[in-house]
Amino acid sequence: MRKLIPILILALVSTACIKLDALIYSPYTDIEAYLLDDYEGRQEIAVGDDYNIPDSNLHVFTLSSDPEGDAKEIYALYVGDISEIATDTVILYLHGNTGHLDLYWTRIKLLANAGHKNRFGVMAIDYRGFGLSEGPPTEEGLYEDADAAMKWLKENGLTDDRLVVYGYSLGGAPATELTANPRTFRPSKLMLESPFASDEVMVQDGSGMSLPGDYFSSLEIDNAEEIKKVEVPFFWIHGTSDAFLSIETHGEVVFKNYQGIYSEAHRVEGGEHSNVPEVMGYDPYLEVVLEFLER
Amino acid sequence: MYRLLLLSALIVLASCNTTRVIKPLEKGEKQIGASFGGPGIIYAGVPLPLPMTSISYAQGLDTGLTLAAGLHTSALLFGDAEVDLSLGIKVYASKSERFGLTASPGVHLLYGFRGNDFRAYPQLEGIGWWQYGEKNHLLYGGLGTWIELVREKAHGEVQDNELMPYLTLGHQFAGEKWQWQAEARYIGFNYSNDNIVVDYIGPFPNGTTGLYVGVTRKIGKK
Repeated sequence: MRKLIPILILALVSTACIKLDALIYSPYTDIEAYLLDDYEGRQEIAVGDDYNIPDSNLHVFTLSSDPEGDAKEIYALYVGDISEIATDTVILYLHGNTGHLDLYWTRIKLLANAGHKNRFGVMAIDYRGFGLSEGPPTEEGLYEDADAAMKWLKENGLTDDRLVVYGYSLGGAPATELTANPRTFRPSKLMLESPFASDEVMVQDGSGMSLPGDYFSSLEIDNAEEIKKVEVPFFWIHGTSDAFLSIETHGEVVFKNYQGIYSEAHRVEGGEHSNVPEVMGYDPYLEVVLEFLER
Repeated sequence: MYRLLLLSALIVLASCNTTRVIKPLEKGEKQIGASFGGPGIIYAGVPLPLPMTSISYAQGLDTGLTLAAGLHTSALLFGDAEVDLSLGIKVYASKSERFGLTASPGVHLLYGFRGNDFRAYPQLEGIGWWQYGEKNHLLYGGLGTWIELVREKAHGEVQDNELMPYLTLGHQFAGEKWQWQAEARYIGFNYSNDNIVVDYIGPFPNGTTGLYVGVTRKIGKK
């Protein structure tokens, strides 16, 4: 038994850094180009031709994102007239944990058409490790990559008061983080769709017990706490049938913890994690989005 | 999203394999063991048991009283420490020792080195066993529960689950020194699987089933 003790200690020390953080990201990297309307793989939601974007309003390009010396080239998509960034409201769309920009293309098109045809400029990125963007995904990479998008928008004339950040699912983490703790921009509004509260809630939902999140993960994503620092108007939308991130344990907690100047909640009856705009109906969805953007 | 499901499923150390004794050892008898298995989940459409592992030691303290201790080696892979301690108490045994009842109170202790988080989960289990055949194989079944002591979850939310009960049905194949064990569990039958991040496998909308295999070996002299 005495011989076993050092072995056990060694095993403990040598394995103590193994965590499951990387499993939170599920990027697809099997593409050679962004196909957008021509993409035939799985898409989050399907929309009709009414929401098509003219080619002149499509801009795919790369950005350099450099969190503490870990510079990576990431891909970005801007939908709209770049010359209008200096004068109009822009939505920064931060996507979820799966896939790449093509999967979210229909969602991006919807937002660009809120109000009327091609009304809003929408910026979206593939985080490092997603789609054609370089490198493995990391938590700091999420924040830095989203901030790189903000820097590009700033260089093109955007000001704080016209930037609205929209985070879907995992995208709620950089959206909330960069609104709560501004870097390049102090966004004017925050919109979260189906956000998660924290990895600790995932752990406790999964186990049914009060296990701390950091038993299994060194992720520090904590939207439920960061949202307390957000003062700008807040829009939250979540499906009541979300079997992935429960509305009760995730979304409601984030919404309840918001302490800023204005908030609105949209609990979409029957909506699941990936289809809230579809279940709500595209027109009603865009109506509430537009009302919030213009208020 | 399936990878995220796996992340959340793997965390269920709370349902990991068991190191308690089914039938108390004789006074002075010692055994070591290892087990493998865990709750079942659907991963990428395929039903899988989670690969939890543990090693254990048990010693008969007195007639009808055994102390067992387990080290949950899968927890080490996550940089956490998980041990359990339990007693196997003979409640009843027939004169021929063909039938018996064992009570097994215990506690699981978990410590996360990264956040310096500690949790203690008391556990209670009652097991009925039937010993048969020339080699004294053992068929057993029981009801047990983990007990949640913490009343608050993340972000100050109320922890509603006070118990995480389970039913067990298992079999031990007895040898001279070695014993092989297979056990099925139905875990958390009070806990709804609706709208949680894990696709558990179960016969009902609640809880999950688990499969475990183990081996023990008697060591030393009685």
